[in-house]
This record gives sequence, C-alpha cells and structure tokens, in this order.
Amino acid sequence: MATITLNNIAKNYGAVEVISGLDLDIFDGEFVVLVGPSGCGKSTLLRMIAGLESISGGDLVIDAERVNAKPPRDRDIAMVFQSYALYPHMNVERNMGFSMEIRKEKKSLKTDRVGKAATKLGLTPFLDRLPKALSGGQRQRVAMGRAIVRNPKAFLFDEPLSNLDAALRVGMRLEIARLHRELGTTMVYVTHDQVEAMTLADRIVVMNLGNIEQVGTPIELYEKPANLFVANFIGSPTMNIFDCSFANGGIILPNGTFLPLPAYAISDQQVSLGIRPEHIQIATNGPGQCQGEVEIVERLGSDTMIYTNVSGWGLLVTRLNGTMDIKIGDAIALAFDQPHIHLFNDTGAAIRVGV
Amino acid sequence: MSTTARRAPGIIPGRFQNWIGAVFEPYLYLGPAIILIALIMFVPLVIGISFAFQNYTLISSTGPSWTGLTNFEALIDDKRFWGAARNTLFWAVSSVSLQFFLGLGLALLLNRPFFGRRIVQALVLLPWAVPGFLTGLTWAWLFNPIIGPISHWMVALGLFEQPDNLLADPQNAMWGPVIANVWFGVPFFAVTLLAALQSIPDELYEAGAMDGASVWQSFTKITLPFLAPMIAITVLLRTIWVANFADLVYIMTGGGPANSTQILPTYIFTTAFRKLDFGYASAISVVLLLLLLLYAGILLRMRQTLVKI
Repeated sequence: MATITLNNIAKNYGAVEVISGLDLDIFDGEFVVLVGPSGCGKSTLLRMIAGLESISGGDLVIDAERVNAKPPRDRDIAMVFQSYALYPHMNVERNMGFSMEIRKEKKSLKTDRVGKAATKLGLTPFLDRLPKALSGGQRQRVAMGRAIVRNPKAFLFDEPLSNLDAALRVGMRLEIARLHRELGTTMVYVTHDQVEAMTLADRIVVMNLGNIEQVGTPIELYEKPANLFVANFIGSPTMNIFDCSFANGGIILPNGTFLPLPAYAISDQQVSLGIRPEHIQIATNGPGQCQGEVEIVERLGSDTMIYTNVSGWGLLVTRLNGTMDIKIGDAIALAFDQPHIHLFNDTGAAIRVGV
Repeated sequence: MSTTARRAPGIIPGRFQNWIGAVFEPYLYLGPAIILIALIMFVPLVIGISFAFQNYTLISSTGPSWTGLTNFEALIDDKRFWGAARNTLFWAVSSVSLQFFLGLGLALLLNRPFFGRRIVQALVLLPWAVPGFLTGLTWAWLFNPIIGPISHWMVALGLFEQPDNLLADPQNAMWGPVIANVWFGVPFFAVTLLAALQSIPDELYEAGAMDGASVWQSFTKITLPFLAPMIAITVLLRTIWVANFADLVYIMTGGGPANSTQILPTYIFTTAFRKLDFGYASAISVVLLLLLLLYAGILLRMRQTLVKI
C-alpha cells in the first residue's frame, strides 16, 4: 500500500526531452491508468516509477520517501511486462516464487505464498509446467502471480493485455479489476486501449508528447474533456469536431446555420464544436442542425453507426441505439443534444459554460 | 479406428499406394546424400581403422598383413603412448577451460555498450583467423630468448631467474603451446557466447531486477541457464578440435623436450609420417576416437539433463 508522488518529473535522452516537468499524485490503493498514443511517454514514465529508467529531473516519492536513486529491488514495487518476461527455464512455481528464492526466504513460506497466488489465479494445475507449455492467457496469469507473491507496495502494468486475443483480453480485464478489489493495492497501468482505461481506472491520466493533458475519473474525461486532444482520444467512435465561427450569443455552424448557445461566454472568433456520436439524433420534425445523405451504415446489433455526408461540412457520425431502418443514400436531418455540446477555443482548450 | 489413422506416414493419395512403396520412399529421397556421405566419410574411415589391425609399415619388405590386435597390445606397454595420453588430457583440459573462462569474460565485456564496440567485436575475432601454423611459429619466437621478449619480461617480473626458453624446460614446456592455443581459441568462445548473450531478452533482466536479483544472481539464475546449451555444444566442439590439434605442438616443440609435450595427435603424426608405421598410428587414432566418442556421449547426456529451454 503506497502513495506515489511525481514532482516535476522529467526524462531526457541526450538533448531529446521525452517527458517534461510532470506532476502527478497517485493515492493509496488507487487504480491509475496512463493512456495515450504510442510515443507519448507513458511506458517511459512507468519504467521510471519502476526504476528501470533513470530520472533526469524532479522527484519521485513513494510513501514520503524520495526514491530517485534507489534501484528497482529496493522500491518494493512489482511489474507485469507486456511480453510477460517469464523465465523460460523455470517452471511456473519457480517463476512465481523467484523473488522469494532471490531473498532466500524459507521454502515452506514460499510454497505457501505461491500456492495461494496460484489458487487465486487458477494456476494450481500448471505449477510444474514451463512457460512454453502454457497458453498466452496462462502466461499472463503467471506474470501477475509473480507480482502478487511479492506482496508489493504497488503494482505496475505495462500494456499487459495487448498480446492477448480480444476475447481473452476482456476476461483478463475483469480479472485485473477483481484483483484490485481483493488486494486493494495501488496500481499503475499503462495502455493505449481506451476501453481498458475507462473500465479499470479510478482515475485516468491522458498523456501526449510527454505531457499530461488531463487527469480525472473516466466519466469526467468523457463528459468534460479539458481540451481537443482528450476529446478526440476518449470515446469510440471519436467525437465529431468541426470549426465554427462565433456570433452574438451563439455560433455559426459550417453550413451557415446559427446555433444559439447563450450559456457560454464566448470571446474567441474561431471555436471548435465537438459533439459525441451518441448525442446526435435523427430529427423527426424540423430541419435539425444539418441535413445530409447517409453514406455508411454500421450495424453492431446493440448500436447503429450512421455516417452522414453533410455538404460543406464532411462526415458526421451518429450512434443510435438498437437497429434502425436506414439505408445508404437516405436523406436525413440531424439534431444535436445541446447540453452535450463541447466548445474549444483556438488553442484547443475547452470553453466551459458561463466562463 | 478409421483406415486413415492406420496409414503409414508419408502416404499421399496417388503415389506408392502399396505399403512397400511407402516404406522405401523416404530412402529414395535420402539415397543421394547417404551415398555421398558414405563415399567421402565412411569408406576412408573404415579403411583407416582397418590399418589398425594390420602390420602396415611403408619400409617393411613384405607388405601389409593382418595381425589382429597386435598393435593394440603393443600400446599397453608403450610408455610414450601413456605419456602422450596424460599430456593430451592436460593439454585439452587446460586449453579448453582457460579459453572458455576468458572467452566468457570477454563476451560479457563485449555485450556492454561502449564506444567503438563493433570494431572491437570484429578485431577480437582476428586470432581465430590466423592459421595454426603461423600462430605456433609466432609464439615459438616470442618464447625464444634470443629474438622474443617474453622470457626477458618473466625475468623482470621475477618469475624466471634467467631468460630461459619456456619451451626448453621439460617441466613447464606444455604451457607454451597451451598459452598459444588459448590466444588462438578465446575468440571462438567470445564470439559464440556473445551471440548467445545477445539472444537473451532484456526484459528478463528487468524482471529479475524488479524481483530483486543482484548482478551476480541475475548472472547465475538468468544468464547461465540461457547460455547452457551454447556452452555445452561449444565446449564439446572445442575439446574435440583441441584434442585433435597437432599443429601448434608440432610447430612449437615437436613433442619435445624429451616427449614432455608429446600429445596423441603429434604422436600419431610422428608415428605415421616419421616412422612410417601406419598400422600403429592407426591403432592410436582408434583409441583417441573412442575416448572422444565417450566424452561426447557424456557431455550430450549432461546437456539433456541440464538444459531446459
């Protein structure tokens, strides 16, 4: 159990700055997910917490102790690697108990701890096997078991599910969530998969180009993205975003329609309007905000995605519940749920209601 | 059971439908290779071994005749043979173990990043590219107090009382060829073990570091198990090569002084080409062959039980 505090943390490779002056507080027992596009520095940050990468600047504090200079083994943190990094020459039992073997702990204690972790993860029948004789999901479990046996202050996960197939990924995701509930240990989890981030996290840290774009609960990020990057990154399909210009008490949409938004105090000439696919409806009476021709229909069973080509505007995605009787080429009118409209100024920062 | 399950492997519909054809088909494919190997390896080997059971000397007036085990019986009482066997053991064990440990150390050094590593990696291989004959000649000169510096350095270090030729001292002459052989053979171990080291994923060391392993622990518990298959095969190969390697000793000492550096390969060579006694030389060769086969068998068995990857 531990708090992890990042204070103005920086990382340079020579002259290249990959992480610059980053602040983050991770609370005791919290599940924090670092998410962002590849190359955003999330894995580097995790490895810096682990002690596998040196820290170029700032302080890393675990439980009120600055650990910048401490080697990984003195930080009492366990890590699950993307490739699992199981020792191929050791059977499952020895893999899981390796940290105790290293510390020359009593054999009975080791057998006991490994046995308990194996029961928890359903690995008991495989204790004698070598990693090569296990499936991907079982290897993943062994990697987690190896971390559990340590009983560490915190767990770090580096994209642990990205080598698994889709079905297994869902299963393991639930298992990680259950594990966090049972152990209550601080967990830091890196992924580029926003579904993993949304479902697992107490708080999500969205990173881009070595900076934190926003920190918040999954719903905060979804409902109140701080900027265009977060708005774009969270949500699938992505938010519809388009450039509009400001007018008295509202904005002018790309097709020239005036949309009154009196709640906002808009001062910028140029704004970006964002609206999630699920916040657009098909207008049944009236012209809505725009009209266009259906270009693509994706039927997922539970939802239907409709891509509408609006002239002078581009493709707009709409998500509707259930299956809809809509064909390609249909002319439809779209209406926006006005309370769910997001506005961003010309620097990309969100414009809040009344501000 | 269905009929398909009882079909011999290799049966493909439309070809060799009867079982005789199916049994012989693989041998037809293997035939050319087997014939080639038999012609260039087994036939000379069998002829060579057959010499061991003959009285086969080039200078005898009667010509070769079958003598059964006479050559082998002579071996038992041959003091030079037993001396050479002891020397071979010393020669192989000291050369291979020194080469191995120095090569492993060098490989570990070369596996760390430093400026100019690629060039150094290439240069390290150089001794291996020098012909054994040239190696022997160069080292013999280096040890020679008249033209070489080594004995003078030894005096300066206080190891020798006067600049004597190491190769002329019956007590220690064997170290001369061993040193030359170590210089020659270290690159082999360095390069092969380096290749094996580079195949170990970095993540295993990172996982080890997270698990709390010290540098020594990650060496013994991660590196060595990974190197084990390569160590087994290179030590096996190198021992066989070294045990058969007559050039260095022959060039540097000719087996002397007083047979103190005579090893089995040089003894075989002198017996065959100096005394022209091919029968006796062949008998020694057969014994050496059997010893090496025994050694290879033991090492391969050890490899099976030790190596798990």
